Amino acid sequence: MTKRKMFLRMITASLLRRRSRMLIALLSIGIGATILAGLVTIYVDVPRQMGAQFRSYGANMLILPREGETLTRADLDETLQAIPREELVGAAPYRYVRLDMTSRQQSFTAAGTDFAGVTQTSPYFSVEGAYPAQTRELLVGKEIAETIGVKVGSTMELTWQPTAAASELSPEESRVPGASLSGSAEGFGGGMVYVTAALNEDAAIDSLTVDVSTQTAEYGGRIPEDETFLAQFTGKTLPLTLGEDVDALSGATVTSGAIVDALNRAVQAAAPAKPRTVIFTVTGILTTGGEEEGYVFLSLQDMESMTGSDRLDVVELSVSAGADQLQTYADAVTGSGGKAQARLVKRVTRSEASVLEKLTALVFLVTLVVLLLTMICVSTTMMAVVSERRREIGLRKALGASDSSIRAEFLGEGLFLGLLGGVMGAVLGFVFAQAVSVNVFGSSITFQPLLLPAAILVSMAIAALSCLLPIRRAVAIDPALVLKGE
Amino acid sequence: MTVKAEGVSRRYFRKTGTANYFDAVQPVSLEIAPGGMTVLTGRSGSGKTTLLNMLSGLLVPTGGKVWYDDTDLYALDDRALSRLRSERTGVVPQGRSAVDTLTVLENILLPARLYQRELPVEAAVRWMEKLGIAPLRDARPAELSGGELRRMAIVRALAQAPDVLFADEPTGDLDDENTRLVLSAFRDFAHEEKKAVFMVTHENDALLYADRVLRMDHGQVTS
Ligand SMILES: Nc1ncnc2c1ncn2[C@@H]1O[C@H](COP(=O)(O)OP(=O)(O)OP(=O)(O)O)[C@@H](O)[C@H]1O
Ligand SMILES: [Mg+2]
Repeated sequence: MTKRKMFLRMITASLLRRRSRMLIALLSIGIGATILAGLVTIYVDVPRQMGAQFRSYGANMLILPREGETLTRADLDETLQAIPREELVGAAPYRYVRLDMTSRQQSFTAAGTDFAGVTQTSPYFSVEGAYPAQTRELLVGKEIAETIGVKVGSTMELTWQPTAAASELSPEESRVPGASLSGSAEGFGGGMVYVTAALNEDAAIDSLTVDVSTQTAEYGGRIPEDETFLAQFTGKTLPLTLGEDVDALSGATVTSGAIVDALNRAVQAAAPAKPRTVIFTVTGILTTGGEEEGYVFLSLQDMESMTGSDRLDVVELSVSAGADQLQTYADAVTGSGGKAQARLVKRVTRSEASVLEKLTALVFLVTLVVLLLTMICVSTTMMAVVSERRREIGLRKALGASDSSIRAEFLGEGLFLGLLGGVMGAVLGFVFAQAVSVNVFGSSITFQPLLLPAAILVSMAIAALSCLLPIRRAVAIDPALVLKGE
Repeated sequence: MTVKAEGVSRRYFRKTGTANYFDAVQPVSLEIAPGGMTVLTGRSGSGKTTLLNMLSGLLVPTGGKVWYDDTDLYALDDRALSRLRSERTGVVPQGRSAVDTLTVLENILLPARLYQRELPVEAAVRWMEKLGIAPLRDARPAELSGGELRRMAIVRALAQAPDVLFADEPTGDLDDENTRLVLSAFRDFAHEEKKAVFMVTHENDALLYADRVLRMDHGQVTS
């Protein structure tokens, strides 16, 4: 038996004898380090993933078409008059339709927009490549890019299939020669009045049918039999004004008005538009961490030429004004009586920032608790080890071991446990963070190279700290007492 | 190396009759020179172990000084005191003193290992043979009898070749023959290797081997 071999055996024997205790201490450090490393990873990575979203300003006002109205780009310019130029940071109009990629039998939500406005209202959009600068160029959400495998420079052939939905056309757009229109309006006592009209080649009313079954029989209900009343409409061009273009039926003014309203609102049942196909070049891939990754974005010009309409679904505005001022502007837009109404959105940043603050506090609290629990666990275990080894420690001292060597031994053991636990924590913590991130945040995490040394350092420090009390106990053992032969 | 006690005393603070303290060792001055074997006897509770511990550096006296040559033992800090004790003294404690996880040989070599000194394997084996525990070198303390453990502790002290060997009732659980074996080993150690042996014992035989006999009674040393 060589000296070195014996020395090793002595150490391993002493460690092995207490392996269950050491295992407990190691596990508690390891688990503590795992939770901490995981938390810190998530904490560091989540905001990083969200990118500038946490820091940048975004849209804080939405312009929507008023109920039953359509909003076009021309209307928008008028609407924006309500907001001072210098306070309007950016405006991004959006029109959403479904476009088909026939070659792949896929269809996507496509957003027609003004990219200059987008960069202002959604500064957290991260584009690999570039925003489209001209027509027939396309920005593709990351999710789509991944599923169909397109890259910057690829081409995509997209088709717009007009739907049969009447709502595609405004009443004005519907009044084309030969169209058949249908509409409804609220009549007397809240009952609905329905009309259908056929237009002649001059886009004037050719024939008219009304459904007033909800109206009182002796008043409005008489209208279908009253041919003189109905005959007034023939040959007239929409829209109509009651009392000017047509006269009300006496005793049924409300119902007469409802019929005129219904006609003015009537739209085509079927749009005569044809499908249109455009070949786009992909100029950029969009990453946002949100649902936009499932969209394709094209210019409003392309959207208009494909769908034949310049209507807008929503306009996002970024206005540099305080909450009260913002509300004033919104009221001005809504109250102007135009086709638009405004709604405020809390700045993305404000809510996200408070989420981040809460997250920080939570992480801090959990960290503290975990550290404390780990320390208690390790400390208790080491305390038990010291009690168990009381006699041996006393004997060693009697045989010449100094307090500092006893101290060094326990500290060394603690640091060793800390090292092992730290490595274990860094690795398992990353796995844990990855699992949490994928399951909760739906994004994967990159390994922070600093995590390993940090986890090792922290767990070694914790282990060393936990050993302080047990070490004091060990040093305080009086060999003269222990050796009395208890 | 000469060990010198200068009015060394020990007072324990505990209730004893009317007093609040108890003087286990009255001030005592003595000298332990190399090349001789000193035996300390006395009744149980007379303060023998207390005195031995103070001389061997394990127990701080409440009065007086202990000198190892020119070194004031208790003026040293813990580290220096421990090192000095490890280099100069060998201790055979009164009680059981084995590390259960180590083998007999490893137990014997433990003091040298504590300071990463050259392990005195040869000396260890020689003394084990002399005291008849050589076959037990790789056994565990749990597998040994009380007398065998005692001899192991004695070999541990001897194998380090200390300047002074302190032994507290080293023959307590030994038969006559082994007692003689141990006592002659101590005498040889003192005489042939010119070292000092300080031994506490009740054994009458020990007096025959001693160069000097001290008696202790109620904390008072007489010669
Ligand atoms: N730690 C202590 N606190 C208080 N009193 C003590 C302490 N240690 C020893 N004593 C007392 O000091 C006296 C001397 O004790 P010591 O151990 O020196 O006796 P001893 O002569 O070695 O006896 P024995 O032959 O039984 O070993 C005893 O009366 C004992 O009660
Ligand atoms: Mg005693």
